[in-house]
Amino acid sequence: MPAILAIAVNDLRLLARDKAALFFTLFFPLGLAVFFGAIFGGGGGGSKLDVALVLEEDGPKARAFAEALSADSSLDVVRQTDAGTPLTRDEGETLVRKGAVSACVVVPKGFGGGIESIFAGGGIKLEGYVAPGRGAEAGLLTGKLNELAFRQMASGLSDPAEMTGMLDRARSSLGGDDSIPDENRRLLTDMFDRIGEVNKTFGGLNPGAAGGGDSAGSGGWMPVQVSLTELKDESDRPRSSWEVSFPQGVVWALMGCVTGFGVSMSGERSRGTLLRLSVAPISRGQLLLGKAAACFFACLAVQALLIALAAGVFGGLMGQFRVGNPLMLAAAMMVSAIGFTGLMMLLAGLTRTEGGASGLGRGLIIVLAMIGGGSIPLFLLPGWVQTVSSISPFKWATISIEGAIWRGFTWADCALPFGVLLGCGVLGFAIGASALKPAERA
Amino acid sequence: MIEWNAVSKSFGTVRALRDFSLRIGQGEVFGLLGPNGAGKSTAIGVCLGLVRPDSGTIAIAGMGSPDDPRTRRSIGAAPQAIALYDELSGRENLRYFGRLHGLGGSTLTRRVDQVLDEVGLLPRAKDRVLGYSGGMKRRLNLAAAIVHDPPILLLDEPTAGVDPQSRNNILDMCKALSQRGKTIVYTTHYMEEAARLCTRVGIIDHGALLATGTVAHLIAEHGGESVVTITRTDGTETRVATPDPVRHAAGLIGDATVQGLRIDRADLESVFLNLTGRSLRD
Ligand SMILES: Nc1ncnc2c1ncn2[C@@H]1O[C@H](COP(=O)(O)OP(=O)(O)OP(=O)(O)O)[C@@H](O)[C@H]1O
Ligand SMILES: [Mg+2]
Repeated sequence: MPAILAIAVNDLRLLARDKAALFFTLFFPLGLAVFFGAIFGGGGGGSKLDVALVLEEDGPKARAFAEALSADSSLDVVRQTDAGTPLTRDEGETLVRKGAVSACVVVPKGFGGGIESIFAGGGIKLEGYVAPGRGAEAGLLTGKLNELAFRQMASGLSDPAEMTGMLDRARSSLGGDDSIPDENRRLLTDMFDRIGEVNKTFGGLNPGAAGGGDSAGSGGWMPVQVSLTELKDESDRPRSSWEVSFPQGVVWALMGCVTGFGVSMSGERSRGTLLRLSVAPISRGQLLLGKAAACFFACLAVQALLIALAAGVFGGLMGQFRVGNPLMLAAAMMVSAIGFTGLMMLLAGLTRTEGGASGLGRGLIIVLAMIGGGSIPLFLLPGWVQTVSSISPFKWATISIEGAIWRGFTWADCALPFGVLLGCGVLGFAIGASALKPAERA
Repeated sequence: MIEWNAVSKSFGTVRALRDFSLRIGQGEVFGLLGPNGAGKSTAIGVCLGLVRPDSGTIAIAGMGSPDDPRTRRSIGAAPQAIALYDELSGRENLRYFGRLHGLGGSTLTRRVDQVLDEVGLLPRAKDRVLGYSGGMKRRLNLAAAIVHDPPILLLDEPTAGVDPQSRNNILDMCKALSQRGKTIVYTTHYMEEAARLCTRVGIIDHGALLATGTVAHLIAEHGGESVVTITRTDGTETRVATPDPVRHAAGLIGDATVQGLRIDRADLESVFLNLTGRSLRD
């Protein structure tokens, strides 16, 4: 075991010292991912939050709220379908599911009445849906909705006529409720009378006094309630171009690993160090496993690094990259690493010189990577190319990784790509290992 | 300690070893001499398990075949072609090879520094091998063979292409290793190295071992006669082969036509040339 580890560590160190290999396994794929992600438009567009608005009530209060929401500079509000009809709740929800908008806000029936009966146990209720993984935007939107709702409420309080109506409704509801103890009833009636006097004298309350309230409320009274539901991820389309370009970057990185280690393995032969390794008191199995382990770890590391970068930079606050199933992604990366380690062993075993390995590497491997989704995203390729590309392990790696990120794969969907990659790993290792005979090279 | 038993090996039509039998005892420094393509490296390769003989056997005393990793642990090999990682420093190279031979921890650190010191590379230990001179690489190539302190050393032309300083360092090291009881097989084209270092030498050509013995024994047996070269005043030169050159020279005293006189005694080189001939090799 220590020997295998020593070989693996040494190989990784050699890779790290090889500037060209390092460039092709890390910086080039990263650059490609960022470049292609950016030219194909990145995320949804701009820094505005796109929101679908569904009005289930058509009263003046609801319309005023809709106007206020549409006028907000930080939001991009959609109120109609493509056909020009007002959005229904189902249509709004579908837009969120498809990723066309980040969230959907529903102004439910009874919105206006709730404002008017604000002192009679009413209040503003808003509902809505948020796209999966957009927690940060959900928070921003909730704050924004609270602010607008309070302003709406306050505008009512500052209108003397409306205020009088609100107080009358409050008094009558107070009279009809037997459950309120007499003591409290007297206090509340007294309070409504005083507010009524202030209203008559000054022509409305100062909106600021009411707007300062807290949506969480104290004593359980919540004049504004916003409940946004985060949808489950069922979309089978990428959320942004980053979700396409980074899996592509992963493919190039895997390719860099395969050629990098393949070349370094033939390099051991040509610079004679393979002879030293063969003479060392280690078995052939240990030698091959050490070599394979180095490639495996490098494959795993570059994949993890690229995806982590994407999730950190383009996910997070920007919400343009999200791993649908992290566990599945981990499995996909593991299986890809195994598959490409096998491919590396095959490459190393079938080529005798560094030139040969890099020639074959930069020929065959590039072709496989290109048809496997390295240059043009798989799902944009014409059907027949997609069929041909099935011979490319890069395609199966792309599919596995995309499956876990945005394709919404189930574990059953993974069976085929994972199986192909594992098969490629085992077969490549077997063929490569039998061709890599350390002896007979005096 | 090491025993080749009627080993034969062909590469296509080239017979690299034919019926090669040799027995090297513990603590011996054995010089294997032969022209290019004679089969020296092949003989060593068989010993390392790198070349599988067509027939015959190899035995490393007390340990068996080199196919067994445990046997290989007791062998240190310096390949004829320098085998090092250019991208790593001298120390990193030795640490890696030491680790592969089962060293670790403080033993590894101590051995690496000790060996680096012995080959005079301690001041350059941190530099990448890429920037080393030919002599430094040769010395490191030897250091990598001895880092795990094996009892058997197989050194294939360990002084090829180096300057007299590096050559001296390498020869001194081999002497010191021999004094520490190591068994050494040393291949070379340089007769004076073999004469200076080896307790016994063998002459190999076309894959066959032609003669073995101590240097003195080989000269007596195969050195042939010494040569007296006489230059006369008329410019002519005559060469006389004789078993007793001093007596021949004495007979020339008083001869006015003799302008100069040179005596070439038989040495290892004459043994070598007598046994392997003067025709060019590939
Ligand atoms: N792997 C091989 N394939 C084909 N021929 C080989 C191989 N190894 C050695 N030979 C041939 O076997 C013969 C002996 O080679 P070997 O390397 O043992 O000679 P050597 O005595 O070490 O020569 P040198 O002094 O040049 O190193 C040569 O003719 C060589 O060409
Ligand atoms: Mg040789």
